[in-house]
Amino acid sequence: MGSFLHYLSMPYLLAGIEVTLQATALGFFGGFVLGALLATMALSRHRVVAGLARTYSVIFRGTPLVLQLVFVFTALPHAGVVLSPILAAGVALAANEATFFAEILRSSVLGVDRGQTDAARALGLRPKRVLRRIIGPQAGRAAIPAIGSEAVSTMKNSALASIIAVPELTLRSNQLASATFDYFSIFFASGVMYLLLTGAITGLQLIIERTVDLDRLDRRRRCRPEAPAAVVETDPPPTPVPAPARAPVRPNRVALTVSGVHKAFGAQQVLRGVDLELHEGEVVALLGPSGSGKSTLLRLINHLETLDAGSISFDGLAVGYSASGAPLPEREVARQRVEAGVGMVFQHFNLFGHLTARENVAVSPRWVRGAPKDEALAAADQLLARVGLSTRAHALPRQLSGGQQQRVGIARALAGRPRVLLLDEPTSALDPELVREVLEVIRSLAVDEGLTMLIATHQLRFAREVADRVVFMADGVVLEQGPSAQVLDSPQNPVAARFLRAVHTMEV
Amino acid sequence: MRTRQLRLAAAFLASAVATVLVLTACGSSSSTTTPAASAYAALTSSPACTQLRTQHPDLAGKKLTNAINPHTPGYESISVADPTKYEGFDIDLGEAIGACLGFTVGYLPVSFEALLPTLQSGQANFVVSDIYATKERAASADFITYSKVFDGVLVAKGNPKHLTGIDDSLCGTTTALNKGFVEVPLVEAQSTTCTAEGKPAAQTALYDNNADCVQAILAGRADSYINDVNTVNRFVKDQPDKLDRATAVTLPYSIGIAVPKGNTELGGAFTGALNEIQHSGLQTTLSRKWQLDESAVQAPSLVTAS
Repeated sequence: MGSFLHYLSMPYLLAGIEVTLQATALGFFGGFVLGALLATMALSRHRVVAGLARTYSVIFRGTPLVLQLVFVFTALPHAGVVLSPILAAGVALAANEATFFAEILRSSVLGVDRGQTDAARALGLRPKRVLRRIIGPQAGRAAIPAIGSEAVSTMKNSALASIIAVPELTLRSNQLASATFDYFSIFFASGVMYLLLTGAITGLQLIIERTVDLDRLDRRRRCRPEAPAAVVETDPPPTPVPAPARAPVRPNRVALTVSGVHKAFGAQQVLRGVDLELHEGEVVALLGPSGSGKSTLLRLINHLETLDAGSISFDGLAVGYSASGAPLPEREVARQRVEAGVGMVFQHFNLFGHLTARENVAVSPRWVRGAPKDEALAAADQLLARVGLSTRAHALPRQLSGGQQQRVGIARALAGRPRVLLLDEPTSALDPELVREVLEVIRSLAVDEGLTMLIATHQLRFAREVADRVVFMADGVVLEQGPSAQVLDSPQNPVAARFLRAVHTMEV
Repeated sequence: MRTRQLRLAAAFLASAVATVLVLTACGSSSSTTTPAASAYAALTSSPACTQLRTQHPDLAGKKLTNAINPHTPGYESISVADPTKYEGFDIDLGEAIGACLGFTVGYLPVSFEALLPTLQSGQANFVVSDIYATKERAASADFITYSKVFDGVLVAKGNPKHLTGIDDSLCGTTTALNKGFVEVPLVEAQSTTCTAEGKPAAQTALYDNNADCVQAILAGRADSYINDVNTVNRFVKDQPDKLDRATAVTLPYSIGIAVPKGNTELGGAFTGALNEIQHSGLQTTLSRKWQLDESAVQAPSLVTAS
């Protein structure tokens, strides 16, 4: 016991801890950076780039770390690269850890709901901001436990660096054991040291997990004195609050032109030549059975999907394409979406899960227009009041009902000051009793503000009350369109008539 | 609030990285140097060494790296009194050569089998680490002999398996050896003889250092361990109630300093320095100091592959 304590406090071994920490840190942080690069490459659309990342992973995940250490330390010098033992260990550990980090990061990025990426793109966020503001924070949170265990694993692996003369804890323990013959006391002491080190890493991991835990943040947020001002909850109808500034409506101007649009997913033709016009201030309901191509059409309009043929333009601006028709990089497309003033509301809301209601709404002002945070949040509060959700401003999406989430979704789209708002079956994912509150909000946008809207919906009564025109689609083509009452009451196309009858029966 | 905390966490991580980088930059030197010049003042000022320094001016003031397997107390191990230093006959010899030729010595501790690859890779400049100079090894490095010694066989107290050397007595037993030891092929050849005679094979258990080999005997995993007789004696002296040296017929070997293959400049300088160290009686003094009683000074001769 005495000698065990002696070794536990021996400066020689304690200095070994320092080297162990250095090797671990080099391997961990180097591996993280390299792993992030590999993950980016693996997620790339370019096959060669993704293939390179895959090849790297196969090699470095598939060979023993011992060989990699010896390779860097003993073989690389023959190629003229002479690294000191600690650097050689750092390089080999990082090269090895990178493959694991790459998989952790890749899976946590893929774990973020794709709908959120769509929503961020639809708001006009540039790709880097989407990564930094939307995907990064959520993927990062999800990855913390796995990253913590990689840190522990890197530290344990650093003991292998003893074979390439890195004077870390294990090497020193071995040498000390050889010199003193006091084998067991020494290895017991160094085992305890490793345990303390890995325990500290685990502790750090738990602290970071707690710090970024959304529910804890939420509790703290509620305790803040500047909690939302008591706006009377009207749930629904929404409180009338002045709408954000918008250009005056020019009813005869064409806001959106869709012509000859084709789209196929693999062998399946989804759209087969769709033509459509939307005038400023007009509300058009897009009706049709499931699979008729309504959602795809909306996603093509703001270029969440690419066109196979045909054209779409907002007052002359073709989102996604240059003046000469060449496809543009996503960064440019984001700018175009803002310029075109196209907003979108999604069937499944697609709220950003790590942001509160007001932060969701403030995304466009903050990260698209670059407004100061306070200003953006104040604007968000106004919009939340407008959709009757002032008291829920600090709630996370998962703490809201479906109807509330969709109202936040609408407020978020409105915060982008859209000239054309696309709504993709905004009530289809809602329980029947929640449909009304959302429809009321949309109705007020149409009636009170004259916002130009294209709404894919199955709500015939709502279409009749709110829409100026109805467009009926089936099998990827427009079968019939005209003033709402005309199409809904006396459809000319037999498929449209049959569909409307069926839906009407359900509604009654 | 959250952003501030995330920023704090980021700042913490950033400073951790910075600290590590600074520490790495400052503390990466794994080698230890003992002030040799004063200990070998007489040697340094000898006419022979003075002349050698004139002949090899590019060595003066340099720091050369000695790759060692510091698990052989007496020859090379860390100092128990000050574990940041290495000590032993080989350490003193290397430092003395350095004092004669005007360079200082740094150390790179590696496993026994990695000694020559480390030299070949250029990570080390020479190897003085109780390594036998054999023709086979000369394929990887040039050797300058300095000591004659023979093998000893370490066994458990009382030699329960009645081992008598690398002969039929090894059949059905396990010999603990370091990876890369010259005895490995010898025991394997003996094993073939054993099976040919219808006896159980002679097993080898290969380890990275001597301490692990000795532990294997203490734990009953191995029956013997074969290394130079001085090292074996040292282990017996340390644990006389558990270990013994078998009375055995063993082969003689030459211990040598390894230098990079074909580096006649360095080989010549080392040979010159060794000559002076032997003539002046310093090597004998050092042998006595480290109780290497059963070895004899051997005049330097070059062992090469050809």
